Amino acid sequence: MRWLDSDAERRAQLEAHRDDALVSAALPLRANLSVLENIALVPQVLLNLDEAAAVREALELLARAGCEASAHRRDAELGHEERFVAKVLRAAVGRPARIVIERPGLMLPDTHYPPFVDSVLAVLADRLAEVLIMDYSWNRKLYPPQ
Amino acid sequence: MANTFLLSRFVSARNAGLLAWLHGWARVLHFAGEVLAAALSPSLYNRVTRTATARQIYFTAWQILPAFTLFTAALAALLVRITVTVAAAFGLSDEALGLIVRVLVLELVPLAAVLVVALRSGSAIVTEIAMMRVSDELEALRRSGVDPLRFELIPRVLATALSVIALIAVNCAAALAIAYLGVYGFTLWGFAPFTHVVGQVFDLQVAAGFALKCLLFGLAVAVIPISEGLATPQRADAVPLAVLQGMMKLFLAIAVLEVGLLIAKYI
Repeated sequence: MRWLDSDAERRAQLEAHRDDALVSAALPLRANLSVLENIALVPQVLLNLDEAAAVREALELLARAGCEASAHRRDAELGHEERFVAKVLRAAVGRPARIVIERPGLMLPDTHYPPFVDSVLAVLADRLAEVLIMDYSWNRKLYPPQ
Repeated sequence: MANTFLLSRFVSARNAGLLAWLHGWARVLHFAGEVLAAALSPSLYNRVTRTATARQIYFTAWQILPAFTLFTAALAALLVRITVTVAAAFGLSDEALGLIVRVLVLELVPLAAVLVVALRSGSAIVTEIAMMRVSDELEALRRSGVDPLRFELIPRVLATALSVIALIAVNCAAALAIAYLGVYGFTLWGFAPFTHVVGQVFDLQVAAGFALKCLLFGLAVAVIPISEGLATPQRADAVPLAVLQGMMKLFLAIAVLEVGLLIAKYI
């Protein structure tokens, strides 16, 4: 967890983590691809999986996160939580060394987001090496005591 | 004094406009070079790129093939009929077929094909790339480990260029078939003189020029919209202007190529 006190600090942190997979409100899904295609694309490129294997893997991850229903929908048709899960899966499926989730509250405006983020990360625990959540310090009270 | 000041402001404004215009074309050429360099890299031709390229060919060429071929057939039938009738009236029936091949196959069909692809796919591509740039989708891909140049841009360039060339080839063949039917009717006896005339028109120089024209048309329609889309400032209100500039630049390039190659061939 990284607590931020200003936008300038956030930008500096993003710059410091520029090579990490990023989950952010500023980085949308590809609008003309479905959730499934957005996720399956990454292992096809990074791990040279064939399309069928990549789709199987993406479906399995979506099922784990309880979002199979959103597999064939595109970004504009998703709710905030579905979109957040899709972004996390897109970041996780390439097995990066670290995933950075910045300002989760901005992606989940209608959700008490700390427990939701924890639940998503918990079901993907075996796929994630290291996760860094960046949030503003004034949102600290939303999180459970460490 | 005031006039001098106004004149100098006018001249600097014009210079700035000219520089921006030249810079825009330099950007297009730079992107074309980048694409050509990447296209020569064997690592580009992986499964994902092939799939993306095939999908783009489906949208750009396959979807419009029936309608465009029908249009070409109707145009060819009309022009063949007019040319045969007028040539007969002037006692030049022997020259009709050569004239048809030169006008229809060498000039009109390629121009119609490139204009159709420019209008249909060029405008869609520049809009889509500009929207992707504005919404940061390209950066999102990059942060997921997917190189946008290789996955999003180069397949579009390759597919659009191949689509233009394929549409020209198929429709030129259709136009030749209709020219044959228009001149000789539903018989086989005219096949030898027909191939003789076509062979005379397509000498080595003309055939090379025709191939070069198809290639340049394909590259123009492929490269200019993407390059303009990538140069869009990251503001939603910049998208319509990017589309406008991209399409104007594309039509200018097509016009310059067409006129330039005509001049090179006939003057």
